[in-house]
Amino acid sequence: MLSPGLLLFACFFVLPLGVMSVLSLLSGNPVNDPNVSFTLKNYLKLTEDIFYVEVLWVTLKIGFYTAVFSLLVGFPLAFQMARTRSKTIRTMMLMAVLSPMLVGIVVRTYAWMTILSDQGVINATLKNWGWLTRPLHLMYNEFGICLSLVHILTPFLVLTLTGVIGRIDLSLEEAARNLGAGKARTFFEVTLPLSMPGIMGGSLLVFALAISAYVTPILMGGFSVITLPILIYQQISGVFNFGFGAALGLILLLVSLVVVYLYHRAMRRFARGVGV
Amino acid sequence: MKTRGWDIIVFRGVNIALIGFLLLPIVVVILFAFNSAEFIVFPPEGFSLRWFHKFFTDPDFMGSFFRSLKLAFLTVIVSTGVGTMAAIAIVRGKIPGARFLSALFLSPLMLPAILTGLALFQFYVIIEAGRTFWGLLIGHIVVTIPYVIRTSTTVLYNFDISIEEAAMNLGAGPWDTFRHVTLPLIRPGVIAGSIFAFIVSFDQFPVSLFLVNPGENTLPIHLFNYLKYSFDPTVAAASTVSIAMSITVVLVLEFTVGLQEYVRL
Repeated sequence: MLSPGLLLFACFFVLPLGVMSVLSLLSGNPVNDPNVSFTLKNYLKLTEDIFYVEVLWVTLKIGFYTAVFSLLVGFPLAFQMARTRSKTIRTMMLMAVLSPMLVGIVVRTYAWMTILSDQGVINATLKNWGWLTRPLHLMYNEFGICLSLVHILTPFLVLTLTGVIGRIDLSLEEAARNLGAGKARTFFEVTLPLSMPGIMGGSLLVFALAISAYVTPILMGGFSVITLPILIYQQISGVFNFGFGAALGLILLLVSLVVVYLYHRAMRRFARGVGV
Repeated sequence: MKTRGWDIIVFRGVNIALIGFLLLPIVVVILFAFNSAEFIVFPPEGFSLRWFHKFFTDPDFMGSFFRSLKLAFLTVIVSTGVGTMAAIAIVRGKIPGARFLSALFLSPLMLPAILTGLALFQFYVIIEAGRTFWGLLIGHIVVTIPYVIRTSTTVLYNFDISIEEAAMNLGAGPWDTFRHVTLPLIRPGVIAGSIFAFIVSFDQFPVSLFLVNPGENTLPIHLFNYLKYSFDPTVAAASTVSIAMSITVVLVLEFTVGLQEYVRL
């Protein structure tokens, strides 16, 4: 029963990742270069050029902003979904949150392009009304990338967070209120700390997905913002530098593994079975 | 009657605005798909089906559309079969290292999908297999199996094993028990998993990016390449068709097997 799956994963998941790790340590492509040797030059190359450091920095920055703003958008939604007593409202909200996930990332990014571009909905409308002479630059920059990533990734955060808020024992909040705490104080001193695993877990998930995004940064950034996945693709498809591409891939892998570890730690602190 | 505080009203207002933010892009895309203008203008100028006509008559769009459909169907068949078998083995097999195995099968969800594509591509180059349809199919299978395993294991953990024991005690063999007892009970989880697998494969971008043969694009890759150079609403029409398709699949299954019960948070 297990063998087909195991065989498939061994040959086409574990082995390729192993090959990638080895390639990142080789001096050339073993297929056409018989004199390859082990070297660290692919990793050292990263530290030699300030450009690569900047790419890494921009990628992490986009991940961070996306996570923070997804939380601001996702928390109120998750809170109401977890707390509403009406089944209809909960179902409708769940549909509204999930339905963007039925639309592919290319299409969702395209939608934001039609809204934010220089001739897009916002600029065209404002110009029609005579409020603008020159278009606002809403895309081809980090703002446009983060805005569309927030839209694309918020559903993941809402799903994680709703589960956590839904399991908070309401009697703890009632106890705080009975002891004289106001609404705000109860929220900040009881509800918010108890939601922390979901807040951390959800944001880490969004961060991990944001730093590995390719389509959105390239289309919304209009090739003017380079992130780590874009650089990886350029190295592989444009320059055919397999070793350096693999090294960059391993760095992305390493960052993701750290994030996944932190995510599991955050979620385990709380409850079993709430996972994404 | 209890009066509602202003804070509740503000809170609900904020949430309605946030839901608007989540749904806005879909509405905009559908609006422009039916708009007659060449460029995006607001408010829309007139109703037209010309972009749908262009989508359904353009050989590149149609070729990639049917390639994606074929790929998604094959992916669903293989990953549902392999994934369900693995899920049963993990939950029922009493095998050592079951936790490790389930982590292994779920790991493509944890790692950036673009790395799965990159690693497979480099692997294919090393073994000199190149970029083939079958290589792409394997990539899609690897990233969709986790969804099938997750939904199937959830159902398997939740059902009462004594039902199976009862069947066995009444004289049913292992195969009959599986076919007539286990399979009907886990079917909803398996179906939910295969819907996820279909949507994930049909919309798949990062894995296809490295593995697709340049002459044989899938729909998401073709849309992406098209968007790099032109901006006309054919993409909106193509998107509307795929949105309609996903919604149809989900609704049909919701009404036939009651999907919502099994897609748990």
